[in-house]
Amino acid sequence: MTRSLFGRLALYLTAIVIAIYSAFPVYWMIVSSTRAPQAMFSSSSLWPGPFTGEYYSNLLELTDYPAQFINSLTVALITVVVTMFFSVIIAYAVTRQRIRGKKVIVASMLYAYMFPPLLIAIPMYTFFTRIGLGDTLTSLVAAHLTMTLPLGVWFLWGFFKNMPFELEEAAMVDGCTRLGAFLRVVLPLSLPGLLTVAIFSFLLSWTDYTFALIMIGSDANKTVPVGLASMIGSFDLRWGEIMAGSTLIALPLFGAFALLSQYFIQGMSAGAVKG
Amino acid sequence: MSSKATFALFLIIGLLVTLALIAAPVVYAISLSFYTMDSFVADPEWIGLANYARVLSTGAFWNALGNGLVYSISTILLQVVIGIGMALVLNQAFPGRNLVRGLSILPYLLPTVVIVLTFKWMVDGSIGILTKAIAALGLPPIHWFESPQAAMASSVMVSVWLWTPFVTTAFLAGLQTVPTSLYEAAKVDGTNAIQRFYHITLPMLKPVLTVVVLLRAVWTFNKFDVIWLLTGGGPVGSTEHLAILSYTTAFTKFDIGGGATIATLSFLFLAISVFIYFRIFPLDEEES
Repeated sequence: MTRSLFGRLALYLTAIVIAIYSAFPVYWMIVSSTRAPQAMFSSSSLWPGPFTGEYYSNLLELTDYPAQFINSLTVALITVVVTMFFSVIIAYAVTRQRIRGKKVIVASMLYAYMFPPLLIAIPMYTFFTRIGLGDTLTSLVAAHLTMTLPLGVWFLWGFFKNMPFELEEAAMVDGCTRLGAFLRVVLPLSLPGLLTVAIFSFLLSWTDYTFALIMIGSDANKTVPVGLASMIGSFDLRWGEIMAGSTLIALPLFGAFALLSQYFIQGMSAGAVKG
Repeated sequence: MSSKATFALFLIIGLLVTLALIAAPVVYAISLSFYTMDSFVADPEWIGLANYARVLSTGAFWNALGNGLVYSISTILLQVVIGIGMALVLNQAFPGRNLVRGLSILPYLLPTVVIVLTFKWMVDGSIGILTKAIAALGLPPIHWFESPQAAMASSVMVSVWLWTPFVTTAFLAGLQTVPTSLYEAAKVDGTNAIQRFYHITLPMLKPVLTVVVLLRAVWTFNKFDVIWLLTGGGPVGSTEHLAILSYTTAFTKFDIGGGATIATLSFLFLAISVFIYFRIFPLDEEES
């Protein structure tokens, strides 16, 4: 398709505006996290530097950040594993069988998309406090599962629906049991779908602030988003450290995105994502 | 294990997990709304519909519902318009397109906390980069959070930035399913780009748009953390929506029954709205 010179220029310009609009805050966060304290106040240069590693070393040595990072990672990894395990089982049972009980699951998962977070958080917090498990990472994992499980089931449901039944039947004719066919044929073929579910479960759990704010009370059990947000409440605002902390939460996500962008986009296009 | 037993096992596990994690909390929340409880360990006392009568008769509830609607509707309109615009641009061929597409998703990957903190840093009263840029242009300083209107506008702005990639990505995926032959035929008929957008692109993408708007509407209405972190619901309740009201009622005033009541009403309102939405914009019958 041929375009006029003017048309092409306008297109490039808009593309540049989109890139800056989307990426500048991220860029600025990273630049600020490495800019020396004096320059933070005086310099308004958009280029990075003068550099310092001071904020990162303060954050890692003087604050609870490393412990919170471990908490976040623990919660997110457990959430991912549990989500994958149950959503595969549920989605498979729901797609391959016409039985009673199926409707309950599907309808619950659909409604779960609409639940206000407080509708889950208030009873969960009450329940876990009453059984003596208030303020634990376990209770936070349970809360995160209410977001990730519906997502996993919905996404894999669509995935299994498009997988021909003949594949398993062929395996079963060859002497596999149903479970064997599921484990040896269906699961390996679902790997891309499983990966998408894993990525989004991780993303939801890792970035969650709301549930972590409610379920966790003690500093020792805080996850990074809550820990970082409480830094802004303190009287002296240490922007350098706050931006360093922000960069460190975001980095794993950027890394994952760079490696697995096709799965991110697949998941987002499927509308499987809650935010 | 027989095929039937495998399925039965899977289904039982599925039902149990669904009941424990999805159904039980909601049933518990709704039952809490019929009780009064002034701490999380106190014994609940049955009061019937008294919480509902109390909540519905306060101005705070209606104020929060109104704020939530203003916030959700303006956020959705803006992100749909900006998202579609970005998708149309990113669907054109230009050098570096994949890079720009990747960058355009960045906001969606970031934790809300990071977005809010970075925004607050950029508009910091004395040394924020936006504050400096505005001063350099000779414009009067903007007080982002101090007036009710400004606080609402800031909340909407940050939310639009955060969620536009969702619309862009969904729309971009949809654009790729529109056959190019349609555009070519329309071009032969002498239509211009704007006519082609209204008469081909939009109708073809209506199903995508219907779902995207619905999902975004539900999640925006429920979103707690953006506004909570930005404004805390202030100044003087001007950005307090139902999620924040429910949170402060239950967790700072320790009126657990009241908080549960607000959450339940909020869900009820959403469920009714979604029902009406489907009446107006029916989804094409998909097998389900």
